[in-house]
Amino acid sequence: MALKPKSAIISPLSPFTPDLYQRAWCSIPHPTLPLIATAHAKSVTVFSLSTFTKHSSLTGGHSRSVRTVAWQPPFDNDSNKGGGKRLRLVTGSFDATAGLWSYKPKAEDELEQEVKFGNGDGSDNEEEEEDEWEFTLVLEGHENEVKGLSFTPSGQYLATCSRDKSVWIWEDVSLASSDIPGIPSGEGEDEWETVAVLTEHEGDVKAVAWAPSQLPNSRPKNASRYYSAECLASASYDNTVRIWREDAAEGPGEWVCVAVLEGHEGTVWSLQWESKEREDGRFPRLMTCSADGTVRVWRVKHDEDEDQDEGQGLMGRFGAIPNTMRRSLKEEWECEAVLPRVHSRDVYSISWSAKTGLVASTGSDGVVAIYAEDPDAQEEGVSRWSVIGTVKNAHGPYEVNHVTWCKRWDAGIEAERRGKEEMLVTTGDDGVVKAWEVRVE
Amino acid sequence: MEGRGLDNANPTILSVSQLPSRRRKGGAVRRGPDSKCDSIVYPRQHWPYGSGVSSGEDDEEEDEEEPIDEQDIFDLISTISDPEHPHTLGQLSVVRLPDIHLSPSPAKLPSPDALVTVRVDLTPTINHCSLATVIGLAVRCRLEQTLPPNYRVEVKMKEGSHAQDDQVNKQLGDKERVAAALENDTLQRMVDKMLSTCV
Repeated sequence: MALKPKSAIISPLSPFTPDLYQRAWCSIPHPTLPLIATAHAKSVTVFSLSTFTKHSSLTGGHSRSVRTVAWQPPFDNDSNKGGGKRLRLVTGSFDATAGLWSYKPKAEDELEQEVKFGNGDGSDNEEEEEDEWEFTLVLEGHENEVKGLSFTPSGQYLATCSRDKSVWIWEDVSLASSDIPGIPSGEGEDEWETVAVLTEHEGDVKAVAWAPSQLPNSRPKNASRYYSAECLASASYDNTVRIWREDAAEGPGEWVCVAVLEGHEGTVWSLQWESKEREDGRFPRLMTCSADGTVRVWRVKHDEDEDQDEGQGLMGRFGAIPNTMRRSLKEEWECEAVLPRVHSRDVYSISWSAKTGLVASTGSDGVVAIYAEDPDAQEEGVSRWSVIGTVKNAHGPYEVNHVTWCKRWDAGIEAERRGKEEMLVTTGDDGVVKAWEVRVE
Repeated sequence: MEGRGLDNANPTILSVSQLPSRRRKGGAVRRGPDSKCDSIVYPRQHWPYGSGVSSGEDDEEEDEEEPIDEQDIFDLISTISDPEHPHTLGQLSVVRLPDIHLSPSPAKLPSPDALVTVRVDLTPTINHCSLATVIGLAVRCRLEQTLPPNYRVEVKMKEGSHAQDDQVNKQLGDKERVAAALENDTLQRMVDKMLSTCV
């Protein structure tokens, strides 16, 4: 049995430079390269995680603030899978659009080198760096502010959400029609299609997240083989979270809301799936944070009635039974834990480490907290969590908008631990992006 | 606009001398709305009251300035113009001194980064005022622009004063919606116009 972490010492590393001098909304690390992208004002600044300095910036694509940003998978460094030569970002903006960006290194091999070693010496390409990100495509459809983005692990599907109460699912068609996974077909022409528009929320949709379908425990079981592999969760101003799946019986593009998670007493600001593979094979859990000051953990109750669902599923596939009668199209989700309360105001952001299973949260009160799950909790349907470390005033008097676990690549740790060990990165209203070392005991 | 489409054509209006100020009976300390707002920007020079007066000229001791109180908050927002009447929010009693609350008191902060919540309950002139959200937005905007960053501003409709209290309160409490609203040209122009009597 795993040991339960007792305490975490959180200490500041040097902040990223330069300061952005205006509210920054979020910083999203690249899953495999030492890069992190920060959304602020109408642009995105990409920092190097090796040097904590600016790597490049994306400007000129949006007429209003960029609220959010996501890296497009695949990330595999193996060049014959396309990941190594391809660096793509999507931005979500208050101007109601999502923008697609491609990084164009000047020479073929340059990307890898530049990224690996950083260009913190600033010697070669200071002048041109602004032009290295190309705004390649704009996704239009939302009526107003785009607030959240999420890619499926394959990079084929993108979900966007907006104040217009809808979630849109887009497909990168060039990726889908390719013979080799991860390499777009044709000569790099971007082609995207709208797959579905989901409109059941009664308020702004603040965030979306795809379940980690790359994990074995996330694949549909026999009981749910009438669903496709992907599962989407959305968090809203209407205080609820919704779970969405594609109903394979009805054909492609037929997405249905299979569960509504009720319990939060304020806007649900963000959500994160459990991305560490579960030993018990159960479907990943979902964690949410809210304006009500709480963080909640939700689980699906599916294992017990698998046999019944099997029969329902087969019937469902004939497609003749009305939705209301097909119990199998609904999933039962329950809240298994409310994390110990730390925050006195809105919790804006949470991060659930895929490596350690530790959770970090932050929000309007400027506190950063780390929680650990008790691995010995035996009670069925309940998990136990404890706070193992906090930092007050993480950004001085300012609100903290985002927290994320992030791989360390800096010179502060030995070379063999780079790209493996994790730190925290926080993003605040002060326009500062801060890195924090976390020592768990 | 006059006579057509006004939500409340005949609001009660207080004269400036009826508004609460720090020295009701102490003579003309205030010289009008402009100087009131400067007090936040240049506190040492413009607050001729309280116990810390002695070193008024000494620029080096700026960090020992007077703690902000409810009257200061009132002075900051009472001069905002109403979007449909040619009067200020103070004159229309949309903003009232007893409905401003600071917690904890800025005088007793353990550190300069400690948070202070400013709660302002607005009383719209009638209970279905469609401009309530815009007024709330202007008040929140004014306070966020002028108060130090450890202040958390909560602007709400006074209970029972407005038909859609909850929706308006929730919108005004949502940082993301407020940020986006201020990037909307029409709203930004309205708010600028309302705040133009403060600056």
